[in-house]
Amino acid sequence: MTASLVADLHAFAAAGVKEFRILRRYPTLFLGFLFWPIVLPFSYVLQARGFAGGNAAAEAAFATRAGTADVVGFLFLGFTAYMWISMILWGPGTALRTEQVRGSLEALFLTPASRLVILFGPAFSQIVWALYMFGLVGIAMVFVFGIDIGLVEAIRALVIIAVATPALYGMGALFASVVLRFGEVGALVQTVRGIFTAFCGMTFPIIVLPEWGRAVALALPPTYLIGGLRSALLAGADLVSLIPDMAFLLASGLFLCAAAVVAFRSTERYARRGGSLAQY
Amino acid sequence: MMGDRTLELLSAWAIARKELLTQLRYPLQLFTEVAQPLYQFLVPALLLGASFAVAGRAVGLEAMTGTDNLAGYLFLGVIVGGMVGTAFWDMAFSFKREMDVGTLEQTWLSPTRPETFVLGRAISGGLISVGASAVLVLLGMAFFGAEVGEGLWLALPALLLAMASMVGIGYLVASACLMLREPNFFVDATNFLFAMISGVAFPVAVLPWFIKPVAYILPTTYAVDLLRVYALGTRPLLDPALEWVALAVLSAVMIVVGRIVFRRTEHRMRVRGTLGQH
Repeated sequence: MTASLVADLHAFAAAGVKEFRILRRYPTLFLGFLFWPIVLPFSYVLQARGFAGGNAAAEAAFATRAGTADVVGFLFLGFTAYMWISMILWGPGTALRTEQVRGSLEALFLTPASRLVILFGPAFSQIVWALYMFGLVGIAMVFVFGIDIGLVEAIRALVIIAVATPALYGMGALFASVVLRFGEVGALVQTVRGIFTAFCGMTFPIIVLPEWGRAVALALPPTYLIGGLRSALLAGADLVSLIPDMAFLLASGLFLCAAAVVAFRSTERYARRGGSLAQY
Repeated sequence: MMGDRTLELLSAWAIARKELLTQLRYPLQLFTEVAQPLYQFLVPALLLGASFAVAGRAVGLEAMTGTDNLAGYLFLGVIVGGMVGTAFWDMAFSFKREMDVGTLEQTWLSPTRPETFVLGRAISGGLISVGASAVLVLLGMAFFGAEVGEGLWLALPALLLAMASMVGIGYLVASACLMLREPNFFVDATNFLFAMISGVAFPVAVLPWFIKPVAYILPTTYAVDLLRVYALGTRPLLDPALEWVALAVLSAVMIVVGRIVFRRTEHRMRVRGTLGQH
């Protein structure tokens, strides 16, 4: 039992290292990791400047709705979360799909490694990229845009990221099951990403949504991640005041991970019976 | 006997038809042409704009541009954004796709000139972009409160000139795609920057001082500005007469420079034998 667990942990680490090595083979991907976390939110900062138009009433309206007058921090945090979520939604599903296209998925399923390794292993390396992205954005916020973020606030943000991780990776793993079942994930990812963009408050305070829209937003884990990060880093909220948000994130994380494991097992059975594992 | 130019035009139309037929085989992709700008750009931008609204009016945008018609401002920007996307992805990046599937050498061995392929894809991409833009603007008017004035029709020649300039840009970016071999990031990043600096999403006035001069040498900046001036009554960047001249001159320059660069790149690749490498 212990030996099996150790072997699975080794396999888990090996899956993460493999994904990292593949990333290292394509240096232009590194450029993207440097470019998009800064340029994409900055374009929304410029847009916000256009919408504010230097008008004091417009700026005050934003501050009242957002709970902060710090437009730059508000948008950078929202977009960093968005990019992390995008990475997670595409990550595990795309990794399995790539194995399917390369013809190596069957070989992978024949190894004695646990299915959990196959499901969550590729996501492991992405945690490194997520931390890198949050670090890069943090540096830009502090040193380029002059936002005051102390060590305590940074630690609080890291706790929120850690608490949100199971929920987000659970979603990613659910998408991976969809890949095995239907062979294509693009349209579904686009749809879900669209829902997150429209409801979770990446570029706006959710108070501007109509009532039904707010209800949708409050049922989605990314809303709590984004809201928690903004509260901790921009409004100086302590972790105690964020316990209800973190409890929701943890509960949804448990549910989504369990659902992903069940869905993956059921999909695997379906693929084995129908012999569709290598079909795409 | 048909002249060379007529034959090339017929080839361009055949290429465009082939591309359109391929697109029609994937209706979901066509749906994405409308859905993606809507959820990825328009909805977040509209909601960001709503965060700055005072008593339901975009007073900040009005102070900056002369119109409080936020939805109209954004939906018209997307028309030019779609054209830019056509140049970068449909015209230029398609060479990379052909490289990947190994058909680039075969198509270039046909009697059709390589630059005609760019033109053909410009036609098909342009038609799809026009269709998607029309649907988006109608959606904007029906559901998002975009009010577009009849002056829009006066700006149509500006859109045609912008489309012509995009053929030149398409040649330039296609040259880069052929040289870089792994151009995904380059195309993605430059497409985004080109659209943003043109003022598709926000007024050019808010650009940092060191980027603003770049906006003034992009034909699309004038196209999107004229579109908004005529359709929404926004304040123009420059005198509209000057903007028309700048748009026409820059479009001509883009086409000439683009063709020269593309021909040189093509010649260089034939000499070095790197066409099939990727």
